Amino acid sequence: MTTLNVDSRGTACPGPITDLIRAYKKAQNGDLIILVANDPGAVPDSKAWCERTKNEFVGSKDVENAFEITIRVTGKKS
Amino acid sequence: MKNIAIIGSGAGGLITSSKLAKDLSKEIKNGEVTITLFDKKREQEFQPGYLEVAFRGTDPSKIRRPVKKLVSTGVKMVYDNVEKVDLADRYVKTEGSSEKINYDYIIISTGSSPDYEQIDGLKQANMDFHTDAYNASLIYNRISSIKSGKIVVGIGGLPYKCPPSPNESAFMLDEYFRKRGIRDDVEIVYITPFTRIYSAESINEVIEPMYERRDIESITAFNTDTVDAEKKELTSLEGETLKYDYLFLTPPHKPAGFLKGSEMSDEDGWVKVDKKDLHITTYDNGFAIGDTTNIPISKAGVEAHLEGIVVANNIAAEITGTEQKIKFTGRTQCSMETGFHKATFVVGTYDRPVEKIEPSTMNYMEKKAMEKIYWGSLHGHYEWLFKYHFKKDYFEK
Repeated sequence: MTTLNVDSRGTACPGPITDLIRAYKKAQNGDLIILVANDPGAVPDSKAWCERTKNEFVGSKDVENAFEITIRVTGKKS
Repeated sequence: MKNIAIIGSGAGGLITSSKLAKDLSKEIKNGEVTITLFDKKREQEFQPGYLEVAFRGTDPSKIRRPVKKLVSTGVKMVYDNVEKVDLADRYVKTEGSSEKINYDYIIISTGSSPDYEQIDGLKQANMDFHTDAYNASLIYNRISSIKSGKIVVGIGGLPYKCPPSPNESAFMLDEYFRKRGIRDDVEIVYITPFTRIYSAESINEVIEPMYERRDIESITAFNTDTVDAEKKELTSLEGETLKYDYLFLTPPHKPAGFLKGSEMSDEDGWVKVDKKDLHITTYDNGFAIGDTTNIPISKAGVEAHLEGIVVANNIAAEITGTEQKIKFTGRTQCSMETGFHKATFVVGTYDRPVEKIEPSTMNYMEKKAMEKIYWGSLHGHYEWLFKYHFKKDYFEK
C-alpha cells in the first residue's frame, strides 16, 4: 500500500479534483490519497467523486486553514 | 548587454516578445538588449479555430499564418527547437547543436500537446481537434458522411487545453446534425472524469439543462483507461464500458519533451512557477507562461497572454530600472460556444470563483471579434482594448 500526498492548496475548482484524478490514475487499489486543499468545494466534490467511482471517502479534517481529505482507492478494476 | 531568450512562438511567446520589443525599443536600438525567439515551426495556427474546422468545415488555411509575419520588429527569430535549458549556467542548446547560447533572462512558453500514450488504444480509435488544423479537418470529413450512429465526445484525460472545448464539440455536433435534419438518428454522448458536465459549478448550472433540452447524454466521473478500436469500446479505470460508433475525445495533454525530468518541472514535466509573477521557483531570471506551467488554472490562450504581459513588463522594468513590477491575477476568459450563434464565458480569477454567465448572441459576437483581432493582438496592437476589457484583472500591482 502506498500513500500519495497531493497538495492542492491555492487552487480552486476544478484544481483539487483535477489533482485528485491525476493521482488516482497512478494509484492502485488499497492505496491512500491524501488531498490537502483550501477550496471549500474540495470536500463535497471529493465525496461525490468517491460515490460515483466506488472509491472510499475515509474522511476529512481541518489542518492549518485547509482541509485534509483522505481517500482509499477501492474502485479500480482488478 | 542583456540577452532575453524566449522559447516557443505560440501566442504566449509572440505576445511576450512583442511587448518586450516595444518596451525596450530604445535599448534594442542602442545594442544594449537582444530578444531571441526559438521555435522550429514556420507557421502558427489560431487554435480556438480548430472547432470551426472540425464541426463547420472551415478551411484550415484560413486559420494559419507564417511565423515571419507574426514576429515583431526587434525580435530575432531562430527556427530551431530548444532541447536543453541550463538554468544554473544560463544557456540553452538547440536540437542537434552543441553550441551554448547564453541568456540573462529566459521565458519558456512551449505549450502543451495531446499525449496519446496515456491511454492505450486511444490513438487508433480517436480523431481529435486539439492536435492541429489538418487533424481537425478530418473530423469534418468524417461527420459529413455520418447518417446515423453514436458519437462519443468529452474529456479523455487530464490535464487538457481549452477547458470548454469538449462541451463545445457536443453543442456544435448537435447543431450540425439538427441542420442536416438527422439529429434523431445520431446519438451524442459526452463523457468527463469530473462529477459535473462542466467542472465549475456555476457554468454547470448553465449548461446542464441545455444538455437535457438538446438531448445530449452525459456520463460523469468516467475515467477513460483504455480504448478498443476493434470493438469500438471505451473502458474506464473502474471497469465500466461504453460503446461508440465515432470517437472525438479530447486527449490528455503533455508538455514539451525536454521539460520532463528537468529540475524546474514537476513529475509530469509542467514547469513549477510562482503563480503571480511566473518566475521558475528556484530561479529569479527564468520564467514560464501559458500551458507550460503547473499553475492549476485553465490551459488557454488568455492565460498565456496575460502572463506574458506580466513577465515582459517585469523584465523590462528590471532592465530599465523603473521597478514597476506587476502580478498576474489568474484571470481566465474562455468562451464556450453553445451552438446556434450563442456562447457563454468562463470568467474568474485567483480570488473570484467562476461567474454564472448565461449564453447570449452578444457573447458569441465577442468571441467572433476576438477571432478577428487575434493575429494583430500577437503584435500587441490591441493591448489598449484588453486593458480596458479586463480592467483590474489585467494585472495587479
